[in-house]
Amino acid sequence: MTTPTAMVSHLSKSFGAVRAVEDVSFEVYPGEIFGLLGPNGAGKTTSIRMMLDIFNADRGEISVLGGKMDEAKKNRIGYLPEERGLYKDLKLEPTLIFLARLKGLSEAEAKRRLPDWLKRLDLYDHRYKKVQELSKGMQQKAQVIATLLHEPELIVIDEPFAGLDPVNTRLVEDIIREQQAAGRTIVMSTHQMHQVEALCSRIALINKGRTVLYGEVDQIKHSFAGNAVTITGQGDFLNVPGVLEARQDNGDWRMSLAPGTGPQDVFKALAARDGIKIERFEIAEPSLDDIFIWTVQGRQEPNHA
Amino acid sequence: MHKLWVVAKHEYLKITRKRSFLFGTLAMPLFFVAIMVLVIVVMVAGEDQRPIGYVDQAGLLIAVTSLPPTEDDGPNPVELLAFANEAQARTALETGRIQAYYVLPADYLTSHDVQLVYWEEVPRGSAQRRFDRLVRANLTTSLPADVAARAQQGIDLTARSADGRQEVGGDSIVNIFVPFFIGLFFSIVVLSSGSYLLEAVTDEKENRTIEVMATSMTSGQLIGGKALGLMAVALTQIGILVVTIVIGVMIGAQFVEALRGLSLPWSMLLTLALFFVPTFALIAGMMIAVGSMVTETRQGQQIAGALNMLFTLPFFFIIVFFTAPNSPLATILTIFPTTSFLTIALRWSLTTIPMWEMVVGLVLVTVSAICMVWAAARIFRMGMLRYGQRLDLKSMLRAVRTGAEG
Repeated sequence: MTTPTAMVSHLSKSFGAVRAVEDVSFEVYPGEIFGLLGPNGAGKTTSIRMMLDIFNADRGEISVLGGKMDEAKKNRIGYLPEERGLYKDLKLEPTLIFLARLKGLSEAEAKRRLPDWLKRLDLYDHRYKKVQELSKGMQQKAQVIATLLHEPELIVIDEPFAGLDPVNTRLVEDIIREQQAAGRTIVMSTHQMHQVEALCSRIALINKGRTVLYGEVDQIKHSFAGNAVTITGQGDFLNVPGVLEARQDNGDWRMSLAPGTGPQDVFKALAARDGIKIERFEIAEPSLDDIFIWTVQGRQEPNHA
Repeated sequence: MHKLWVVAKHEYLKITRKRSFLFGTLAMPLFFVAIMVLVIVVMVAGEDQRPIGYVDQAGLLIAVTSLPPTEDDGPNPVELLAFANEAQARTALETGRIQAYYVLPADYLTSHDVQLVYWEEVPRGSAQRRFDRLVRANLTTSLPADVAARAQQGIDLTARSADGRQEVGGDSIVNIFVPFFIGLFFSIVVLSSGSYLLEAVTDEKENRTIEVMATSMTSGQLIGGKALGLMAVALTQIGILVVTIVIGVMIGAQFVEALRGLSLPWSMLLTLALFFVPTFALIAGMMIAVGSMVTETRQGQQIAGALNMLFTLPFFFIIVFFTAPNSPLATILTIFPTTSFLTIALRWSLTTIPMWEMVVGLVLVTVSAICMVWAAARIFRMGMLRYGQRLDLKSMLRAVRTGAEG
């Protein structure tokens, strides 16, 4: 069995009387993009901070890069925190070189690698500007460089797309995919579900300090699929036996099935009708957005067991 | 260790490249140079260069009538002119040809009286000593050369304490004030470094860089590197000051009599060097703790201002040091960690500070510094992740006690 690159087990952490994390567990495997989801204040950032040894956990186990966190491992980790920050009154290039040196890179190597990154993220012409003179999006991209310049094995990125326009969002998405293709392991915390669906193979959903959903994205979606079908076609799709509700959405029909009725039963009933032309028939899977909202609000999709 | 030096170098260059640093550091030496130049200009321009006359009614000043210039004469030795009688000398004085004249009466050898007649101002000290040397040279012509030379040189008294640590030379009264100036420079330089350190810590908070730092190195490496970089800044400032002052004094001594006998109190400098590192670490620890507790630099500066008072307190007791340099208050301030450095500097030229006081002072300041830096590292770890939140006293004490972040 593959050893996880990062593992947290039954973590808990309190700040005074406030219980920030109650029971969070997940494992991140080599080469995967792992999504850490949850509403604001759920405990995602605190869990990441504990995983990276910024905070000490009150309870629980943590293993990063094959064991307990130590100083040498810090050079093998790239972290883009939720609370972004660079030295505002310093120039961009020396700032990035300084941060790379703190990750164990020599000054010469940092200087060698930096121009390519600056050019790729369209910051090369701004390298002698002070950080405070850069736009928010530029600062965000600069931090992406600071996270990746030392070529870390484990990349932890907290809300990597916040503040980016669509062009730069696509650019960062591509970079994340490239990092994965290069064999790096990525933990991504975000609220943007379409990014999670597009990038992550597995997720953990944290709510009120607990892991409430954990596993592969497809399996989770499938488990929430329940008794519903989506149909594209022409004809009369109303009053089908065993269908509780049929509604049209963007030209497609979505049918919620009564208990005891299966998709096969609906398909047969429709096939028996005259004047029906079916172009697409599939078991309806909810979006991660829906799953997120249902789970966080304590509601389940109607037919989810 | 490598990262500690990276941070130290970064902090050093970040501060020393700032215009405010260059201005702040160079302002004092430039001010010193300006004062020195002003003094020299006033002294040289105000110096009366005219000769001094003498009327030798005693018939003593015959064998030696001219003297080679000495260091004491400065760059413009005054000329000594002999007059046959007082009427001629008086005429020369009235016409402004000479600035003053001496009258050596006929009974000088028994009365030892000498008259100095001047018009407006008494001739400067070096001019008077030049005439004095002329008289001595003539009085000692019959003595063996070495005895004559010794008699002409006069006495040179040095008062030295029994243990040899303290000595006061007769050369210059300025020596008494040297430790005071050193104490003053220390206060300015070290306290300004403390202010930089406070800024360096709150900068991390304001710039939201602390998480990246925390995942790159230990908090000890981070604050240690910052403190080390800023100590180098302080030493740079001290170095610039010292070099400027030494050059200034060397040049100034050519023109200003009071500076010629100036000597550096090496034993005191060595003692203060021993106190410098722990005192700096103590200030650094305090500033790191303050910087970690507040949300922005301005808040921190208010607290830091109050803490700085703890270090500059001895200045308020200068009168006590002058009147009773071995009083219980002086002893307490010598051994108290925040005041020991400055108190030693201020007391040094006024008394022989008992060795036990300095040893106890050094031990206490070292122990305090270690405890403060240790506590500061814990407060730093807790406070730095509280963006936009001030750390209250209760949380701070919990952080020190348990090392927890929350």
